[in-house]
Amino acid sequence: MGKAVSFLAVAVAMFCMAGSGVAGDTIKVGFVDTYTGPATTFTNDVLDGFKMAAEKINAKGGVLGRKITYVTRDDKFKPDIGLTMAKELILNENVDLLVGTINSATALAVSDLCRKEKVPFLVTFSKSDKITGEKGNRYVFGMNENTEMAGRAAARALAKRKFVKYWIAGDDYEYGHAIANGVFRHLKTLNPKVQLLGESWWKVGETDFTPYITQILAAKPDFVIVATGGGGMVNFQKAAQSTGFNRKVPFYQHAAIDLSTLMPQGKNAPEGVYGTANYLFYYPDTKENKAFVEEFRKTYDRHPKSGALYGYMTAQFIAKSFEKAGKVDREKFIDALEGMTLPSPVGPMEMRACDHQVTLPMFFGVTKMSPKYDFLIAGDIVLVPGKDTMPSCAEIAKARAK
Amino acid sequence: MMDFAANLFSAGTLSQILVGLSRTTILFIVSSGMSLILGVLRIPNVAHGSLYMIGAFAAWSVIQFLGGGLFAFLAAMLVAPLIVAAVGFVLERGFFSYLYEREHLMLLLLTFAFMLILGDLVKIVWGPEYRSVTVPSFFQGSAEIFGLPLPWYNLFLLIVGPCIAVFLWLVINRTNLGKIARAAAVDGEMVGAVGVNVGWVFAFTFVLGSFLAGLGGALIAPMVNISLGMDHSLIMETFLIVIIGGLGNMWGALLGSLIFGLTQSLGILVWPQFGIAFPYLAVVAVLVVRPRGLLRSTW
Amino acid sequence: MVTTRRSAAPLLLLLLPAALLALPQVLPRFHIYVAEIVLLTALLATSLNLAIGYTGLYQFGHAVFYGIGAYGTALTLTRSGMPAPVAFLAGPLAAAALSLLIGLICIRLSKLYFGMLQISLGSLVWAVVYRWYSFTGGDDGIHGIPLPDAIGSPKGSYYFTLAVTALCVFAMYRIVRSPFGKVIQGIRDNPVRAAAIGVDVRLHQLAVLVIAGFFGGVAGSLFVVVENSVFPDMMFWTFSLEVLIMCLLGGMYTFFGPFVGASAIVLLRVFASVHTRYWSLLLGTILALVIIFLPDGVLGVFVRRPRKREAPDA
Repeated sequence: MGKAVSFLAVAVAMFCMAGSGVAGDTIKVGFVDTYTGPATTFTNDVLDGFKMAAEKINAKGGVLGRKITYVTRDDKFKPDIGLTMAKELILNENVDLLVGTINSATALAVSDLCRKEKVPFLVTFSKSDKITGEKGNRYVFGMNENTEMAGRAAARALAKRKFVKYWIAGDDYEYGHAIANGVFRHLKTLNPKVQLLGESWWKVGETDFTPYITQILAAKPDFVIVATGGGGMVNFQKAAQSTGFNRKVPFYQHAAIDLSTLMPQGKNAPEGVYGTANYLFYYPDTKENKAFVEEFRKTYDRHPKSGALYGYMTAQFIAKSFEKAGKVDREKFIDALEGMTLPSPVGPMEMRACDHQVTLPMFFGVTKMSPKYDFLIAGDIVLVPGKDTMPSCAEIAKARAK
Repeated sequence: MMDFAANLFSAGTLSQILVGLSRTTILFIVSSGMSLILGVLRIPNVAHGSLYMIGAFAAWSVIQFLGGGLFAFLAAMLVAPLIVAAVGFVLERGFFSYLYEREHLMLLLLTFAFMLILGDLVKIVWGPEYRSVTVPSFFQGSAEIFGLPLPWYNLFLLIVGPCIAVFLWLVINRTNLGKIARAAAVDGEMVGAVGVNVGWVFAFTFVLGSFLAGLGGALIAPMVNISLGMDHSLIMETFLIVIIGGLGNMWGALLGSLIFGLTQSLGILVWPQFGIAFPYLAVVAVLVVRPRGLLRSTW
Repeated sequence: MVTTRRSAAPLLLLLLPAALLALPQVLPRFHIYVAEIVLLTALLATSLNLAIGYTGLYQFGHAVFYGIGAYGTALTLTRSGMPAPVAFLAGPLAAAALSLLIGLICIRLSKLYFGMLQISLGSLVWAVVYRWYSFTGGDDGIHGIPLPDAIGSPKGSYYFTLAVTALCVFAMYRIVRSPFGKVIQGIRDNPVRAAAIGVDVRLHQLAVLVIAGFFGGVAGSLFVVVENSVFPDMMFWTFSLEVLIMCLLGGMYTFFGPFVGASAIVLLRVFASVHTRYWSLLLGTILALVIIFLPDGVLGVFVRRPRKREAPDA
């Protein structure tokens, strides 16, 4: 009994002594994100993009004379761990603000926490439209596109085409349903003639799509909206390639033309797949984009993917907002950030004041072979400007009032 | 109702069955490995999924090293499982062999610890990025069965599956080593008493089980995204298959895999939204009716 | 024979509660929060141990009861107009009811089979919660759950968690020390003999399952107090395995073993990831070392128990 208690006492002592950070003369950014498992391929990009921008800013003297520093915590793609880590960053590490996470459930939970603790939270990679939509609040900011925006962009592009009979398929979780509904709902408003023949939903992480593909082909739709997320993107494209699905029925996936989906497959990715993406390193061929890509390649020896853009711009927004605020004060930071527009590799980006969502252009394209690269790229690229993809401020206000 | 009937008797059903069968192959290969380990060594090997994942990553590495193509692919199908078998050997000789008399729960816990360790080791060795292996051109494209596509690679799996099953049956029932392993599963002490080095028999079994897990991972590599979550993805299904099939029973693993593979494929036809629940319902049904699994177990 | 050191015991019985009560005055907010998590996780692990350590049931799906307790409380607080006390009863009662239902289905099976069937049924429950987006929030979970002010504040939630945990742990302690407790340990050690002397084995096992499920559900409702959220992953099988590990790590055959195991794992998880990205590796290594060198778990080092033969399959 005695030994047991002394053991507990030592444990408690260790626990009390465990690191307590002090925010001294730096601007401390806390990252809570997934650095374990399949999502890591995306979140590393966010961190690297952020680091690149922060180092540049620090080299020029930092923000208000302070350097930007960051700490990371791994939420292992679990919301309860994410919440604990967020609390640790806020209460123990005393970070000035939070950035993260790729898991939408975690993002929503942390957003609620930040509202209570009055800490700004810049969300990177999570795509739930609830983050800046119905569950938005003063402290949370969306740094990338969400399912609403992707849906509207895709709907605009598809409405102009001749497809009438649609089939919806995808990963059976919130994101999958949100993307599919986002696309089809807006498509129906833009083109009332479209019909939904049926739906197929498979478990997240499904590896063998052949049964679903055969079922879809049997129904003979004109077009299929495929709502896969994360790893499912590549899995589905591989199945499409081997069954020839992409040659039989055209289909769309959000992020189908994204580098993270196409690069691992090399020259074997399916052609003719419709997709939307936030960022393509080869388009637009503007000075800003080329400079960004050059810098990223030199620093990390790889092409930047969308995550890199989010991380990079997050750092810029943080730096410029504190500068505009004039002091390291969270409330003034938020006031400064609202409505701020900054130049970015994809054109000017505005942080919309009414909902704290960044206006990003969306690129819609079709996959095709490229003589220049070892992987497929997007062709027939159409740029859908941010303002055409975002819900109006009035719609947001209504959603939040519910 | 008419739709349901039409669905069930269409050509679509046949191709769904064929697809379900090719999915069965991977399930069977991985679960037969686990069944061996669980049946003979009494170890509930939670790290089996990690071995499967290492098999997939190792296959990628071999193919990268050999530059792709049919030869590289076939070489990977042999070399990757061997690498995993080596890992299994280290685990068994280095750790498990000292702990056999421990309780099952403790062994389960230990294999869980190894799952954590191996998961991070894979991250350290191969990094967090997705890897992808493409189906060699020999297998690309698909055959048309009743007007619906069945990828050649799935057909390849349909052939490989029974081959592995036959091979395993021969090893377990026709070789001395296999017979001793089966005896050791039932009564290890007795086998030791007649002068057989039971330790090496156990090592052999664990290595064979690991080889099978690695082979499963290598075979599935061209079809999926090779990523860090793979160790979690199969483990629950594998355990359930082994349980409903009968512990240590190779035919049980085959039967369980068939049930799993087919109920899922056909479930999609019957109820597209909830097709994935069907295998679990099948498991519940089996265990309620035959609590010790369908076929004889070695426990 | 159980050997204990008697001298320190009375002093500890006084110091420990005093220390626990004083915690919020002394420690920073984050540490209080961690203490709350430790407490409710320890409660959960102790409830699991009723089934696995004391009755020998392979309870592999315990997380389901934790999750249902949490969701029951969360849904009552957010969707029905009922006052908070009702919500805090609704969760655990739902968990107990589910435990009875699952128990009735699984009870005919033994050992590993019992565990696997429980996991399968638990997975079905998880799947329902995960998909029923309109009611349970699906994989987003439920956030921002409103709590009465008294227990919503940082200090309030700590004292509430402490009080409920202490009460429940005390209740479970009394249960295992009672004649009922002796009977279930007898069932664990030799079910055939227990039946032979007229014990209704099944009835006792079911009773334990319901009690374990109830207290697991209480732990779940405490989670709602501490985090104001619920997630479907709370009832996923990997978490069941983690709680099992806490019991085994701390020592399955002692009452406070699960407490120690839960504390160790929670503290490790929170503070290890501050220092390293590879904390799975760290956790796995520590776990492996403890298993190899401390066969009866951590507390098993301090409290010896008779080496029992594995009971034959019932």
